[in-house]
Amino acid sequence: MRKLGESVTNKLDRVFNPRSVAVVGDKQALGYMWLKSLSHFQGKVYSVQIDPNELPGIAQLGVKNYLSLNDIPGPVDYVIAAVPRAAAPIIVKDCIQKNVGGVCFFTSGFAETSTEEGIRLQKAITDLAREAGLLVVGPNCVGVYNPRIGLLHNTLQSYGDGGPVGFITQSGTHATLFSLAGPRNGIRLSKSVSYGNAAILDSTDYLEYLKTDEETGIIGMYIEAVKDGRRFFNLLREVAEKKPVLIWRGGESEDGARATASHTGALAQSSIIWQALTRQCGAIKVDNLDEMIDTVKALLHLKPARGNKVGLIAMSGGQSVSIADTFAREGLKVPQLTRKSYQRLSTFFNIIGGSYRNPFDVSSSFLMSENAISNLANMLDVMEQDTNIDCIVLELFTIVSPFSRDLSKPDPLVDTILEFKNTTKKPFLTIVNAVHTETLAIEIRDMLTGKGIPCFPSFERGARALKRLVDFYRFRREQHLN
Amino acid sequence: MTSKIIDSVLKNGRTVLTEVESKQLVAEAGIPVVETKLAKTKAEAISISKKLGFPVVLKIVSPDIIHKSDIGGVKLGLANATQAGKAYTEIMAAAKKANKKADIQGISVQKMARPGVEVIMGMSKDAQFGPVLMFGLGGVFVEVLKDVAFRIVPLNKRDASQMIREIKGYPLLEGYRGQEPANINVLEDILLKLSDFVDKNPKIKEMDLNPIFAYKDRALAVDARVILES
Repeated sequence: MRKLGESVTNKLDRVFNPRSVAVVGDKQALGYMWLKSLSHFQGKVYSVQIDPNELPGIAQLGVKNYLSLNDIPGPVDYVIAAVPRAAAPIIVKDCIQKNVGGVCFFTSGFAETSTEEGIRLQKAITDLAREAGLLVVGPNCVGVYNPRIGLLHNTLQSYGDGGPVGFITQSGTHATLFSLAGPRNGIRLSKSVSYGNAAILDSTDYLEYLKTDEETGIIGMYIEAVKDGRRFFNLLREVAEKKPVLIWRGGESEDGARATASHTGALAQSSIIWQALTRQCGAIKVDNLDEMIDTVKALLHLKPARGNKVGLIAMSGGQSVSIADTFAREGLKVPQLTRKSYQRLSTFFNIIGGSYRNPFDVSSSFLMSENAISNLANMLDVMEQDTNIDCIVLELFTIVSPFSRDLSKPDPLVDTILEFKNTTKKPFLTIVNAVHTETLAIEIRDMLTGKGIPCFPSFERGARALKRLVDFYRFRREQHLN
Repeated sequence: MTSKIIDSVLKNGRTVLTEVESKQLVAEAGIPVVETKLAKTKAEAISISKKLGFPVVLKIVSPDIIHKSDIGGVKLGLANATQAGKAYTEIMAAAKKANKKADIQGISVQKMARPGVEVIMGMSKDAQFGPVLMFGLGGVFVEVLKDVAFRIVPLNKRDASQMIREIKGYPLLEGYRGQEPANINVLEDILLKLSDFVDKNPKIKEMDLNPIFAYKDRALAVDARVILES
């Protein structure tokens, strides 16, 4: 008998990179979502369905159907099961007999229901699979996403190009949302997995896999609990040294105080220990999907931060005060520039209707200037040269859009920003607040993102992402000093 | 590593260590702790006091009396043999009044430590991650403001250094307004010793070193509380 063991990572490679996939139990009621999601899959797709009423629909999709997994002629690397829960143990037995790489149960109704029947069935599939060394993803999850080979779990997901970001999540919805929001934010995924009830494989197993996965350079995780905390702690410490790991822990509000006899025990709430864990391991703690996306975006598209001092360029007086307040509130510093910088600024910056202490208020020198483009290039260069500044932030407007009306056409302003982004040695980001027109803001952000210019939708989100980036690189530096 | 104290307490069917036992355990961990001896008679209390040097502190030692101060079981700043003897008699009377059935092992005698910056260190077990250590400033800072930092055992040097600097009250350790500063290296060293000790003694369930007096050249645990796994 093969047991689960050190070969889990090797076995997972087959699950994450299958050459053949079988869907068991897809049906009209689901809109044939599984088979449709696999319409761009580069390998072989099979259907297994015994309900005669479902067969015409499956045939219409051009997928060959079998009455049993074991009727499929060739090998099957990955099985997606959407069967009624009572049939789950039979499917596991079939998977073992067929010697598949792994099975993902979309099926729910197991231990998560806290019912006797659900717990019994989960134990049944767990025992069978463990004994045979079969990998089970889930149950109660959407399983694996690998865009490079077109292995999708939602028809809206992108495919073809992969990227460097891996995502491990207990929640299937978060897997879908992250994979959909990612590309719009310049984030391309290598692989993701939703692991649901973690009957056999827990987040730690997937982290172990992504640790060695060469396609994955950054790892995001959504976790509510881990099964083996010590193993997770030790592994996280090891992985975070090599690849940035972001942790979004769900369920913090449910962590209650415990009855204990010591001060220490009373204060050691689970949410506090998770925070300690991320700090200790050098992982990055995020609190929601937006923060996950913003921070991954910053890691991907911003240069490493050498310190926490920001140079801020805003479009008006009020906004320059507001942006400075927001970045300071997040714990970043907004220092004065060097004398040399002020001398240079005085040669071109119009202080009537503007100011350049830091933050810059560029109303008169940019928004209402004939030399807008060259002035902006000079301002950015001042920030670049200034030794008091570690990171650079540029606000762009929608109320008086400095961009051409047709965002699809070449624009000298965009070229200037892009050139700066490509040459700067400091973290650089842009912010486009929506103000009155969400539509235009989205168009501008998408246009900038499409050109590789990192853009954030509010001062708060830009500041928070930059702070996490700064903290991450500070931890790395401290780590290397020790 | 096995600890004789842990073994003997468990053999007695107890999980809560007395003050004297807790301090012996802390000393076993290599952490400086105020010397504390158990007196079973008034004469013993006086002779121990003389040996340790005045002023001294006397405290009731009983596994059945948890909140010692509340029942009059603690006497501080006893300046001579007469005061120490009187305190012994008063504490015994108060303890018996508070709980007739209490198992009274005696009265602990310790030299009253010179006040320093009060810090707390402690250990408890997290359901997912196992033993964790806590660091904070003592008194209201831990009780009311909950200004503490945690790390998962085992700690490395960087963890110890970072958790001390993580608390909001850190400037108080640097010698705020002319106060004597705390020696941060010494505190880091104690955290590492504590981490090592609890790592090697899985039978310890919870631990408070509260307070530890931190001085510019050293630190001294003044009270300790240890609870074992049942």
